[in-house]
Amino acid sequence: MSDNHNNLSSQLNQGLVIFIVLAFLTFIEYMVAITNQSLLLLSIAATIKAGLVLYYYMHVYKLAKLDEDADQSSLTWKITTNRLGFWLFILSDAFLFAGLLVTRFNLLGLTRPDLNQVLGLIVTGVLLVSSFFMNRAETYIKAGNKNGFIFSTVVTLVLGVGFLLGVVGVEWQEAPFSAGDSAASAVFFMMTGMHAFHVLTGVIFLGIILNNGRRDLYSSENYWAVEAATIYWHFIDVVWIFFYPALYLIGILG
Amino acid sequence: MKNNELKVTKVLAFYLGGQILGLVLGVIIQTLISGAFSTTYFLDLSSWLFGVLLSLLGFFYSLVGYYGLVKGLVWQVVGTLAGALFVSLIRFFMGLEPFNLTTFGFSEPAWVVGALVGTISFMAGVGAITDWYKWALGEKTADHHHDIEGFKKYFGVSLDHKVIGIQYTVTSILLLCIGGLFALVFRTELSNSSLEFLSLQLYNSLMSLHGMVMIVSILLGIAGVINYLVPMLIGAQDMAFPRLNAFSFWVAIPAAVILLSSLALGGFDTGWTGYPPLSVRAPLGMSMFFVGIWVAGWSSILGALNLIVTVLRLRAKGMIAFRMPIFVWAATATSIISLTATQMIGLAFQLVLFQRLMGMPFFDPTKGGNPVLFQHLFWFYSHPVVYVFILPGLGVISELLPVFARKPLFGYKWIAMSSLGIALVGFLVWAHHMFSSGMNEYLRVPFMYSTLLVAVPTGVKFFSWIATLWQGKLTRDLPTPFLFVLGGIVVFLLGGLTGPPNATVSTDLHLTDTYFIVGHFHDTMFGGYIFPFFAALYYWFPKATGKRLNETLGKIHFWLMTPSFLILTLFMMRVGLLGMRRRIADYDPALNFDVWHLAMTVSAYLIAISILVFIFNIIKTVRGKADATGNVWNSRSPEWLVPSPLPAHNYDQEMIVVGEPYDYGLEGSKYVEFIQKEVL
Repeated sequence: MSDNHNNLSSQLNQGLVIFIVLAFLTFIEYMVAITNQSLLLLSIAATIKAGLVLYYYMHVYKLAKLDEDADQSSLTWKITTNRLGFWLFILSDAFLFAGLLVTRFNLLGLTRPDLNQVLGLIVTGVLLVSSFFMNRAETYIKAGNKNGFIFSTVVTLVLGVGFLLGVVGVEWQEAPFSAGDSAASAVFFMMTGMHAFHVLTGVIFLGIILNNGRRDLYSSENYWAVEAATIYWHFIDVVWIFFYPALYLIGILG
Repeated sequence: MKNNELKVTKVLAFYLGGQILGLVLGVIIQTLISGAFSTTYFLDLSSWLFGVLLSLLGFFYSLVGYYGLVKGLVWQVVGTLAGALFVSLIRFFMGLEPFNLTTFGFSEPAWVVGALVGTISFMAGVGAITDWYKWALGEKTADHHHDIEGFKKYFGVSLDHKVIGIQYTVTSILLLCIGGLFALVFRTELSNSSLEFLSLQLYNSLMSLHGMVMIVSILLGIAGVINYLVPMLIGAQDMAFPRLNAFSFWVAIPAAVILLSSLALGGFDTGWTGYPPLSVRAPLGMSMFFVGIWVAGWSSILGALNLIVTVLRLRAKGMIAFRMPIFVWAATATSIISLTATQMIGLAFQLVLFQRLMGMPFFDPTKGGNPVLFQHLFWFYSHPVVYVFILPGLGVISELLPVFARKPLFGYKWIAMSSLGIALVGFLVWAHHMFSSGMNEYLRVPFMYSTLLVAVPTGVKFFSWIATLWQGKLTRDLPTPFLFVLGGIVVFLLGGLTGPPNATVSTDLHLTDTYFIVGHFHDTMFGGYIFPFFAALYYWFPKATGKRLNETLGKIHFWLMTPSFLILTLFMMRVGLLGMRRRIADYDPALNFDVWHLAMTVSAYLIAISILVFIFNIIKTVRGKADATGNVWNSRSPEWLVPSPLPAHNYDQEMIVVGEPYDYGLEGSKYVEFIQKEVL
């Protein structure tokens, strides 16, 4: 019991450390952007952040364990197969966002749209904190702690809705341009809109696992749906890790 | 007998009834809109096409009743109307014009949202998302659903990969016929100079739709062959995700309906590429085209995902990577492209759609946009996708050659890796479509060399095929599938050799947008897809039905199609070299191309007749008795070692791979062994 408990708290602590590093790197990015705008430093920071999320929050290394269980009727075999399929979906989706980044750099080059920097930092922070709680939710359900799972999922969900309100409800209304004004404004609405659409589907996904978790449908062995929702939510975060500097930080005002 | 006649009468009545009802409804709607009746409304294309939709509905209804496909289509129509009305309502409250008579009643955003809602309601209606919906609500469902008996199972959701494979293939052949019909219509128009019976707008719409309908047909065709074969070849019970598999197939049906509806909703005139700025100004049909392809893309992406997981996770014991059949290698290489690159064309089309609907100026240079960006995104998918089309076909050729030559496949590992090689190099060549588009000039030479690099892995395949045939023990009377394999090799060689002149910048600047490109492209598509696809159909037809297609009819099909096709494309290339532009409805009689075009049109009709022979062959064989349930081709592949057709979940014994797949003619060699399952 206490061993289990130690394991849980060490995993929670790990999530916290990663969160602090991510927050620190985001702050560095912001400082770089307002001081010398080094494209290289911003890319390095974003890549490190994405790598940390991929490894510690999305557990990409689990993909390497393909043949741990040869019995094709077992639960672990099914989950490993599902995981592989879901990651391929993420890969495919990543190409969509990569295409949006290509669009952005092709059309805008090293200029950026005129956006509210404070608001940008706030919504980025909100999404980062939600990622932190999503990680806690997964850690709790893995340890069989239902209450911890419910609490963390609710916080993630609320923060996700907060992010949506921040981007669509405030940023879109406050922006000093409308979608049809220029290529820059079109790119801004397209990128944030596509990302917000994914956040919306993620929120729906969270609602489903919250509802099913409340009804005790997940156990510490069988929580694939929660894992999938977690991977999806962190993927949305990874996308924003690249979109945030691409829209708010890189280049000069166009 | 009497019963049969009654049934035929009923089917005909429903079919014609649907057509008449659609036409009358169209005329009534037009009369209501314009406020006055006119007899010319009876000649209106949109009403006729609306009638075709209803008559197909009636046709399927008379066959299977209100079930599966019929239910889905009804739900799609209702969903489309509901979605469009919803948007119109929002427009009304926003103070915008809710309806627009110039775009067939609804405004363009309403049509687009309606099409998407219609797709979702089709999927709900047909029942392809029922299980997932239950899972989301926390309910459990059975692992397997048993199919209903008889042909009715092909009209509803089935989770059996063989049923889905056949569904895909039949849909593909249907679309092939529709796309071919479009080609015949405008080919007839081209048979002499001057416009005879088509308007420019209709010519452009048919020419554009011919391209995209064929592409969707090919995507469904390879998905069909892959779905049917791969689980069988690797000894699996089914695909890794059977529900996703069913979803991938069924989502292609509303996609095809939306795509074809573009013809009724004003058509479009950009060709299948949909380049802006023309596509930004094109009629409403353009949007339907974009939405249709976008939805079809999901079918492609999810099917590819499913296949990669299946190959990685479900292979039989002992089937290490280098003992997989070549077709499985080819299917995997294909799926890597479909999984990733498809997103780019989806994005490109979305961007144009948003520019059309909301005025977001992605491709408007006066507001900082860039039309060349569209071409980059578009070709990043659309070039690799031709490898999606040909790789499974080349896989079929490699798969069948050793069976008929009774010799081991030459250079197995090289062939296996060359598929992956083509797929990977294919990602780096897209800009060779844009040499004359005004992109940065320094990009031309790197893309020229990367394109020429494709010839290396393709050449590996050709050398292996020749070496496999060399001293092969061929029978004097070549069987039909083997004829199609040989035809495929010859035609694909022609297509391959005419490629480098287009890839080389200096010559391409002269050849671009001429009929030379059209001839080259059709050679690669027929050699890489159509011929191997027919070879696969003739070869595995006994596996699927237990009945072998008629050899004589098969040979008539082959000997009618191949020479006509060669005439068609060689003449295309000839007039192209002499300056015939592609995508034009009319040409100058002084060019003296009339007789060449007439010959091409005649060839096109001969190809169409050969396809009719093929369809007649299928109908005749299916009605015959099952007498080919054994190993018809004396193959070593596991699916032929058990009686045809296979039951659901394929093999009732466990399969173990003990040797090399293509060691034909070697004494005592063995590929697979079956062991009795342990009874617990």
